[in-house]
Amino acid sequence: MSQSVAQYLLESRGTHRMLDAFVVTACFDRAGSTAAFALGDGRLHLVSLADRDTWTTVEAHDGAVLSLTPDASQTGLISGGDDGKFRRTDQVIADFRSKWVEHVASHPGEKGKGALVACAVGKAIHLFSAAGEKLKELPHPSTVTGLAFDARGKRIAASHYNGASLWFVNAKEDSPRKLEWKGSHTAIAIHPEGDAVVTAMQENALHGWRLSDNQHMRMSGYPAKTEALSFTRNGKWLATSGADSMVLWPFFGGGPMGKAPIELAGGDGVTCTRVAAHPQQEMVAGGFADGLVVLAEVNSSRILPIAPPGQGRVSALAWSPDGSQLAIGTEKGFAAIIDLSKR
Amino acid sequence: MANTETEASGKLQVPVTVLTGYLGAGKTTLLNRILTEQHGRKYAVVINEFGELGVDNDLVVDTDEEVFEMNNGCICCTVRGDLIRIVGGLMKRRDKFDGIIIETTGLANPAPVAQTFFVDENVRSKAKLDAIVTVVDAKHLPQRLEDSHEAADQIAFADVIILNKTDLVTAEELAAVEDKIRAINRFAVIHRTERAALPIEQVLDRGAFDLNRVLAMAPNFLESNEHEHNDEVTSVSFEVESPIDPEKFNAWIGVLLQEEGPNLLRTKGILSYANDDRRFAFQAVHMIADGDFIGPCKPDEPRISRIVFIGRNLNRPRLRRGFESCAVA
Repeated sequence: MSQSVAQYLLESRGTHRMLDAFVVTACFDRAGSTAAFALGDGRLHLVSLADRDTWTTVEAHDGAVLSLTPDASQTGLISGGDDGKFRRTDQVIADFRSKWVEHVASHPGEKGKGALVACAVGKAIHLFSAAGEKLKELPHPSTVTGLAFDARGKRIAASHYNGASLWFVNAKEDSPRKLEWKGSHTAIAIHPEGDAVVTAMQENALHGWRLSDNQHMRMSGYPAKTEALSFTRNGKWLATSGADSMVLWPFFGGGPMGKAPIELAGGDGVTCTRVAAHPQQEMVAGGFADGLVVLAEVNSSRILPIAPPGQGRVSALAWSPDGSQLAIGTEKGFAAIIDLSKR
Repeated sequence: MANTETEASGKLQVPVTVLTGYLGAGKTTLLNRILTEQHGRKYAVVINEFGELGVDNDLVVDTDEEVFEMNNGCICCTVRGDLIRIVGGLMKRRDKFDGIIIETTGLANPAPVAQTFFVDENVRSKAKLDAIVTVVDAKHLPQRLEDSHEAADQIAFADVIILNKTDLVTAEELAAVEDKIRAINRFAVIHRTERAALPIEQVLDRGAFDLNRVLAMAPNFLESNEHEHNDEVTSVSFEVESPIDPEKFNAWIGVLLQEEGPNLLRTKGILSYANDDRRFAFQAVHMIADGDFIGPCKPDEPRISRIVFIGRNLNRPRLRRGFESCAVA
């Protein structure tokens, strides 16, 4: 039953293609006018939401695209590849040669000022103005494994071995706040209100730091590694992958310390590989290892399947800024955009 | 449940060859030979950034060896964090290569590389150690063995040993060096070379972690009683002719690895369990163990179980008694 609903939604509300390469990640530009899929063969596929049947290809990297995010401006994208390039579709921002550009991030700034783009290459974060001018290089003790700006674009955080580092981007003297916890940290997210940093760890667990009082948060019990971390819009919940359901940790009422998470869309023993919190509502999209994609409303725990299993392990999931469109990609190269706007 | 969907058959796993050896032994020469020979196969090559010579290949990944301890309370459980990321990254372009070759720095301890392929679920599901190939310099090996633990460790971990620069030593010296290697690791295949020249099929796609083959190749299971110095790396093997009781074996090996893990560089075994037609392949690097059923016994095959230990401070009588006690009573 749920499969046929999903198939119906995909066919009636979706646009989809087989792209014949691993979909590494997907995103929308800030204006929400274009969806983009980054592929393991170096290409980007761009789809204008005004004309969903026309997919254009950009040969962005010689190798695999490793990272993709919206540019700091309203339109455009920035990407990193295993060819060492950090680029926009029409401009190379920096070339790191044989080093991989594994993570990219951007922030539009506030009141037209302070727009930034950043990439992580080896042990360093490289920070650039939106115009592409190099501002600074922030060193870390080991390779940067995750990168995130806070909601206001004032700070940037990096996960690495033995913890995370939090930097003020405009500091005169760069010295990070060191968030320490032994072990290998492999992904990072900052709470929308800026008071907590959470990392995923090698040992199938999450670690968090509450910044106001240095309280540690330990969130464990995952059967697999968490690859995706996503806070809901108001920061009430942190949605995560790595279990056979979407696992949501409460960041209210004293949580997550001492609180149990809620689990959504679980029960069939298939690992959740991607989560993406809805940008407007208390709703989370989850992708699974068998290709199933569902939407879950957090408060009611209602589940709506929107893409049926069978197209490969879900490796990319992204919402448009207004939350009306969901982009889906899988390791087998299946890519889809589902239109969830009211009709 | 984690990742079982992609584990599927071994065929999907990319074979990984690890090249170790001291600076100057000829690792990069061997690597360039492998890459330039016309074999119609493509390799992704992972090199460290302090490599000796350039490497000419389409897909070269420059890395900084990052060894870290796992938070599992086991001090010798170290892995290469950079390899976890790189294997994950390479899998995004899986169709572009047939295998992965990892070159380590001269002084590297091979254990973290090997352990990475056992410990990390994502790596395990996608890649598989094909062989550890150690290149040694016939002239300088004796000195290296005196200087450091790493030289012996690299030999101990090897499935294939390239005894290189044979033109720089006399026949007697060569025989003496080979004896030294054999004293450490009796089970590796040794190839004598000049300028690392040998057919590449002797190095790649060995399936050396196909334990079946390793153990079948084990030259003799008679024990010599030489080399009893505690700190020297040696290898021993035992066989048992009656079927093994899996519970007894697990209990014994679990405690043994826990207590002796730091000394046990590699452990490999092929076991015939009671009431099971399949053979069980067991292997461990220090304390990290892994095992799986492999093909069925042939009907006419004797149901012998074998185990090999390579390490320091091996207590032969105790290991033998321990293994023998795992037989079904």
